[in-house]
Amino acid sequence: MDFLAVFIPLFPLLAALFIGIGHLFDRMSGDAGERIISNIAVLAISFSCFIALILLGADLLGMNSGSFSIGQWLGSDTFKIEVTFITTGYNTVLSALFSVLLLIVIRFSVNYMHRETGFRRFFFNLSLFASAMLLLVSSGNIVTTFIGWEIAGLCSYLLISYAYDRPIATINATRVFVTNRIGDAGFILGIGLSYFYAGTINWDALNALAGELTIPTATVIALCFATAAFAKSAQLPFTPWLARAMEGPTPSSAVFYGAVMIHAGMFLIIMLQPIFERAPLAMDALVIVGFATAVYSFTVGLTQTDVKSSYCFAISGQLGLMFLECGLGYWELAAYHLCAHAIIRCYQVLTAPSLMHNVVGNPIKTVSRDIINLRWLYIASIQRFWLDPIADRTLVRPIQGLGQDLSHFDIYVIDRLMGTPASPSRAISSLAQLEQKILSTSQSDFNINQFGHGSGIAGKFFEWTAKILGWFEERLVLQGIGMDIIDIGNKLGHAANTFERLLLKPRYLVLFVFIVLLIAATR
Amino acid sequence: MSEANFPILSIIILLPLLGGVVTGIVRDTNTAKKIALSFACFELLLTVIAVKLFDPSIAGFQLTEKLSWISLLNVEYLVGVDGISILFLPLSALLTIIAMLSSWNSVTHSTRFHFALLLALQSATAGVFTALDMVLFFLYWELTLPPFFFLIGLWGIGSQRRGAAMKYTLFMLAGGVALLLAIIILSANHAIQIDGRIPQDLAFSLPILLETPLPHDLQTLVFLLLLFGFAVKAPLVPFHTWLPTAAMEGPAHIAALLTGLKLGVYGILRFALPLAPVAAVEFSWILSVFGAVTLIYGGLIALQQTNLRGLLAYASVSHVGMVMVAIASLSMQGIQGAIFQLLNFALIASSLMLISGFIHHRLGSTEAIHLGGMASVMPRLAFFYFLFALASFGVPGTSGFPAELLMIIGALTSHAGLGAAALAGAILGAAYMLSFTRRAFFGPVIHTAVNNMHDLQTRELALLFAPALLILIFGFFPDTILNINKVASEAWLLRLTTYAP
Repeated sequence: MDFLAVFIPLFPLLAALFIGIGHLFDRMSGDAGERIISNIAVLAISFSCFIALILLGADLLGMNSGSFSIGQWLGSDTFKIEVTFITTGYNTVLSALFSVLLLIVIRFSVNYMHRETGFRRFFFNLSLFASAMLLLVSSGNIVTTFIGWEIAGLCSYLLISYAYDRPIATINATRVFVTNRIGDAGFILGIGLSYFYAGTINWDALNALAGELTIPTATVIALCFATAAFAKSAQLPFTPWLARAMEGPTPSSAVFYGAVMIHAGMFLIIMLQPIFERAPLAMDALVIVGFATAVYSFTVGLTQTDVKSSYCFAISGQLGLMFLECGLGYWELAAYHLCAHAIIRCYQVLTAPSLMHNVVGNPIKTVSRDIINLRWLYIASIQRFWLDPIADRTLVRPIQGLGQDLSHFDIYVIDRLMGTPASPSRAISSLAQLEQKILSTSQSDFNINQFGHGSGIAGKFFEWTAKILGWFEERLVLQGIGMDIIDIGNKLGHAANTFERLLLKPRYLVLFVFIVLLIAATR
Repeated sequence: MSEANFPILSIIILLPLLGGVVTGIVRDTNTAKKIALSFACFELLLTVIAVKLFDPSIAGFQLTEKLSWISLLNVEYLVGVDGISILFLPLSALLTIIAMLSSWNSVTHSTRFHFALLLALQSATAGVFTALDMVLFFLYWELTLPPFFFLIGLWGIGSQRRGAAMKYTLFMLAGGVALLLAIIILSANHAIQIDGRIPQDLAFSLPILLETPLPHDLQTLVFLLLLFGFAVKAPLVPFHTWLPTAAMEGPAHIAALLTGLKLGVYGILRFALPLAPVAAVEFSWILSVFGAVTLIYGGLIALQQTNLRGLLAYASVSHVGMVMVAIASLSMQGIQGAIFQLLNFALIASSLMLISGFIHHRLGSTEAIHLGGMASVMPRLAFFYFLFALASFGVPGTSGFPAELLMIIGALTSHAGLGAAALAGAILGAAYMLSFTRRAFFGPVIHTAVNNMHDLQTRELALLFAPALLILIFGFFPDTILNINKVASEAWLLRLTTYAP
C-alpha cells in the first residue's frame, strides 16, 4: 500500500494548478465559477484525506514497508535527492490528521469566502498549501521536506497579504516571510552540514547514523534545524511574527497558525529525535527557548484584548511547552500534545468570529492580585516585551543603514574611481561653441588643455599622461624646435636651390657627366 | 574531440549575420521586422537541433569544425561545444527572439538597423559560446561591443544614454586589453615549451593550450589577467558600475540581454580556471572573497534601490557574486549549480528586466514612487513579475531553487564561511525583491496614471510565457539540465583537482 503516499500531496497540487491556470486566463468567475473552484478544491483534499486514512489503516495493520520512492529528482555527484515518502509511524498519523483538518477548513471556507473578491486566489493558495504541508509531513528526504516547508511559507505570505491593497497587511506579510527566511537559512545550513558530515540527506539514514556522529557535530546540526524550527513555530526570539500573521482571512489563520503550519517546526524536532538525543547542548537550547516562550506568551497573553491576539499567544505558549517537553526527553508526550493542540486550536480559531455569541454575559476572570500589582510587568506585557522594536533596532535598521552607506559609497567612491565618460550634454560639439567658451571666459585663465576630461583612476591616469605629452608637444616641439625647424628648412631650401642653379650651368653639367663616367670605368 | 559531419555550429554563427544583412537591405520596415524574427526563430530551431545532436556522455568538445585561418600565426577557425557551453546556445537564441518581440512596437526610429543589430549580436554571442581558438574567441568577444554600443546609445530611454553606451564600451575595452595580453602570453609560452620559434610555432587553439604546461609564475599572471578581463564583464565589484548605468539608461530589452547573458562568468569558467589550473586552485580564495563581497554588496545596495531597473541591476550583480562563490568552491555541486544558475539568468533576470520595460513603456517610469497598487490594475503582469521574483530568490518549484541549493551546498562543503555568506545573500534576496514588490504592486492605487494602465497584451503574454514555462519545467525536473553538463563538469573539476597543491 506504500504507493498511495504519492497521491496524498498530488491531488491538492493538481487542484492548485487547475485553479491557478483558470485564474490566470480569467476563467471561472462569478457564482458558477465559484462553485466549480470550491468543488475542485474540496474534492481534491477529500481524495487526499481518504487516501491518507487508508494509508494510516494499512500502517496500523502492518501492511506498509516503511518508504516508497518514485525516483531521483536531482543528482550531482554524491548529492542525490530522491523523492521518497515515509509510509509508517508518526508521519502517516500526522498526514491523516492534517488532511482531515485541511478538509474541514477548506469546506468551511467555501461558505465563509462566498463572493469575496479574491475567492479564486484564496482557494489556489489553500490547495497549494495543503499539498506543501502533506509533502512536508510524508517526505522521506530532508530536501523535499524543505520544499514543502518553503512553499507553505510562501502560501502564508500570500494569505497574509490577501487584502493586498491594505499597506499594513503587505508590510506584515513581507516581514513575516523575511523572518521565516532566517529560519530557512538555518534549515539549508542543516542540510549542508548533514550532507558534509553524515553524507546523507535521508531522514532514516541520517537518524541511523546519529550514533556515529561526534557530539559537537550532532550539536551543530541539531542547532541549525532547531533555529529553523524556532522560526517556523514562532518561538523566541521569532515570536512577534505570529501576531503580524493574523492579518489573513480567519479560515487561513486557523489552518496556518492554529492547526497545521505552526506545528511544522515541532514536527522537524520530532523527526530529528536521535540527533537531538546525541546533542545535550541542543536539548538544553530546546528547554530554555521552549520555557522562555511559554512564560513570555503567558505574560503577554494576559493583556490581549482581542480574540485573535489572545489565541496567537496561546498558540506560541503551547508550542513552547512542546519544545520544553522535547528538551526534557518526553518525546511521546510532545507528539501527542502536537496532535491534540492541532485539533482543539483548529476548532477555536475557526469559531473565533462567533465567539462573542457564546461568551456574551460571562464575567471576565481577573488575574491574581500578586500579578496585578506588578506595574512593570503590565507595561512589558502590553508592549510585548519590545521584541519588535528591539529587532528593528538591532537588525533591520543597521542592515538598511549599511545598505544606504554602501549605496552612497557606490555612487560617490566606486563609480568615481571607475570613472564615467564625460556627459555629452556638457561636451563641446562644434568649434563655434569652443570659440564662444573662450570668449566668455577671460583669455588668461582659459586653458585649452581643459578640453579633455577624464574621470576615475584610468581616466585621471590618461588625462595626466595626455597633459604631460601636451606640455611636451607645446614647449619642446612647437616652441623649442618648431621655430628653428622653419629657419633650418628655409636655409636648406636656399642651399638646394643654389645647388640646382649651379648644376644647370653647362660646364658643371659636363664635369658631372665625366665624374659619373670615371666612376663607371673604374668598376 | 569529435568532428561534426555537418557544419551546424558555423551555420548557427553565420545565419543571424546573414539575417542582419537581409534585414538591413529590405526597404519596408514591417517586412524587415518579420524577416528578422523568422531568422531568429530559425536560429532557435538550429540550436535546438545542435542540442539534440550533442552527446552528453562525451567529456571533450563535440561538433567541432576546423579550418585554417591565419596560417602565419597558426590561428585557426575552431568551433565546438561541450556540456558546459551547449545549453547557452538555445537560451541566447530564445533571448534574442524575446528581445525582438518585446521591442516590436517600442522601437520607432531606424527600426531596420535595430533588428539587424540584434541579429548581429546573436551571431557574436553564439561565436563567444562556441569559439575554441583564443583569437577567434577574442574576435567574437570584441564583436559583441559595437551592437551593444549602438543599441544602448541609439534606443536608450534615459537622458544619459550616449554616456552609458560610451561607459559600457570603455569598460569592456579595458577588460579586453588584459585578455589579449593573456592570450599572447599563453601562445608564446606554447612556442617556448616545444622549443619552437615565434611566429611558426605559436598556438592559439584551446585544446592545444590546455595540454601545454605553463610555468608557475606565468600561471599566476595569466590567471589574474584573465580574471580581470572577465571580471569587468561579469561584473564583479568594483568593476560593476557600468551595469546599473546601462540598465537605467539603455532600453529594457538590451538591459535584459546584458543581465541575461553572463559572458564574463562563462569566460572565467571556460578559460580562466582551466588554462591556469595551479594558480586557479591557489587563488580560488581571491575569487571566492570577491564573489562573497559582490554577493553581499550587491544585495545590500539592491535593498536601497527605489527604481526597479536599478534594483534588478544590483540583484544581478549580487547573483553573479553567488555564482563566483560556487565556482570557487571547486566542488561538483558548486560547478553544476553555477552552470544551472547561469542558464537561469537568461530566463529569470532578463524576464524581470523586460517586465520593467513593459511598465516603463506604459507609465514612463519604474520609480517605486510612481507605482503602487499595480497588482489590482494589471493582475497578469503582477503574476509574471511575482513568479520570476520568486525564481530569482530560489523558491522551490522554480528553477532558481535547485541551482541555489547546489551552489550553497557546494560553498558549504568547501568553506563554511562562504556558505554563510551565500545564505545571507539568499535572505537579502527575499528582502529586496519582496519589499519592492510591496511598494510597487501592492497597496492602494495612488496615481491615476496607474489606474489607466492596460494589462499585458497577447504579444507580451506570449513572450513571457516561454521563460515562465521553462523555469517551472527546470524547477520540477532539474536533472534534465544537470545530466547534460554532468560529464563535462566532472572533467572540468578533474583538471583542477589533479593540480591541487
